[in-house]
Amino acid sequence: MPVEIAKATPTVSPESSRSDPAYLKIRELIYGISGIYYSDEKLYLLISRCARRMIALGVATPPEYLEHLTTRGNRDSELRLLLNEITIGETYMFRHPAQLEALRNVILPQILKVKGAISLKRLRFWCAGCSTGEEPHTLAMFLLEEKDRLLSGWTWDILATDLNDNSLEAARAGIYGEYAMRTTTEVLRRKYFKEVGDKKFQANELLKAQIRFDRVNLRDDSKMLFQKGMDIIFCCNVLIYFDLASKRRVVQHFYSNLLPGGYLFMGHAESLFQVDDSFRLVHFPGTTAYSKPTAAQAGGVKK
Amino acid sequence: MNATVQAKLKDQIRKLDSISTAPAILAPLLDMMRLPSDSIRLEKVVELVSYDGAIAAQCLRLANSPLYGRRETETVRSAVMALGLERVRSMLLGLYVNRVVPQDKWVLDPEAFWRHSLGCALITQRMAQKIGYAEPEKAYLAGLLHDLGFLVNSVLYTEEFRKCLRRAAEEHVPLHEIEEQVLGFTHCETGQMLCEHWRLPKELSDCAGCHHDVSLLPAAGPLACLVHLSDLLCRMRYLGYGYEEMMGVDLVGDGAWQALVATYPAIGTMDLVRFTLDIDGAMDQIVATVDSVFGAKKVAVTATT
Repeated sequence: MPVEIAKATPTVSPESSRSDPAYLKIRELIYGISGIYYSDEKLYLLISRCARRMIALGVATPPEYLEHLTTRGNRDSELRLLLNEITIGETYMFRHPAQLEALRNVILPQILKVKGAISLKRLRFWCAGCSTGEEPHTLAMFLLEEKDRLLSGWTWDILATDLNDNSLEAARAGIYGEYAMRTTTEVLRRKYFKEVGDKKFQANELLKAQIRFDRVNLRDDSKMLFQKGMDIIFCCNVLIYFDLASKRRVVQHFYSNLLPGGYLFMGHAESLFQVDDSFRLVHFPGTTAYSKPTAAQAGGVKK
Repeated sequence: MNATVQAKLKDQIRKLDSISTAPAILAPLLDMMRLPSDSIRLEKVVELVSYDGAIAAQCLRLANSPLYGRRETETVRSAVMALGLERVRSMLLGLYVNRVVPQDKWVLDPEAFWRHSLGCALITQRMAQKIGYAEPEKAYLAGLLHDLGFLVNSVLYTEEFRKCLRRAAEEHVPLHEIEEQVLGFTHCETGQMLCEHWRLPKELSDCAGCHHDVSLLPAAGPLACLVHLSDLLCRMRYLGYGYEEMMGVDLVGDGAWQALVATYPAIGTMDLVRFTLDIDGAMDQIVATVDSVFGAKKVAVTATT
């Protein structure tokens, strides 16, 4: 919240420093590394992220902070820390139930049918930009709950990646407060979490074992090329800060990361319109997803 | 559907007027529905609203609700002005067409039915505007009336239709697929017959008849294609028949979309995710209109909160 930040940072006045050209340089720097671009309207967000780091460092002016990011000896670690501020997000379990319903009712049955026919009974999921791990943990619970039903006889792996080290560390620890757990039923809490004091819940070993965490920069082509054979990719509200060119590139990677018949889930307001036309937009009850058509679908018009 | 069934249904629909309480006002109302919204005359609407005391009261109540700024509206005329001619027109049609179905014969929850119909009307109209279709009002009407066959099936085949709906809900599949199995015909066919019986323009009865399969039309008209797509979109945004259908819908890959692309290339400039969000945003209005048609209770609750 910009208001809170303004209150908490008496030494940095957003009004006087907003036009500081140093921020424009920091913007370019961040863009070059991560592909995350702050438009002029969103620049205040970048400023507030920098403000937190400037307070931590005791830095008073934007040009001085720019120096920390560019010329000082610790510039790499400072860049990492700023990126961590930038990519932080707060979310909760089961945030998009309609996505899980679409998986259960339509998408997974489709995929199981195709893969089952060739006895390839393994599924691969990827949460790209998993933040503090709510999404992969939700997915893991969902899959475990389907273990003896829809997914009987199937195995899966969940890859969960993020750029932010702090987030990844939190995700690996798997400790969540009431806010993140508020939509997790009592039954699931008991089954997959242990209480670790003061209304905190930690994912148990069974749940943790479902997920492999890794640091992946979506902008890093060599790492992106490496992720193959995915059935489902979740990348929700991650690409919203990316400029068109970077977004396009990431989405093209996702397309080749997915198997034909696979799906990409994005945030509910995120559209690939004029970003990519290889994917097909599919409406499910209460949600949408992008499908990578199978060879048969790609040939003709799907009814 | 074979010729015997068709003849029987036609006969039954002809007799609908006598078994239902469809009022004489339906004919002038349907006439008014054919006009573009800028040529609807206020006086005519006021006259139609005043025709029935209960309906006039509902208009006044809605106009006085917080949704419309809780104005001190005392006359039908000012109520109609506060609500807007377009809204009153749809309300009227909803109220009167409702009476085609006697209370004990509603199979589908009437509120769900009107939310779906109004939702489809609105989406059809907006999509028509987006792609540059010349008569968005007609598109609205086509969306509003596409499922009239529900009413016919409810009145004439109450128990069988109830069974269809129950099965469709249990199996999470489109209703018309079950109708075909159980009844041997669908609400599309009976809806088309009712439209013809009411002498609505052919384009509108085509929409009722072909909204689940535009390939039934020799040359799928743009209106039928728009209604088909809007109906699908409605059902994917919780504005269906009161249950969730387990399916994925690829609108751009749909035959109706493809048919529209040829004549209305502007459809290619539609960001469907954005459009879907806009539609979601308009849902409050739809729900409010439906509530105003159905319940004094709901409006009263709103008024006290």
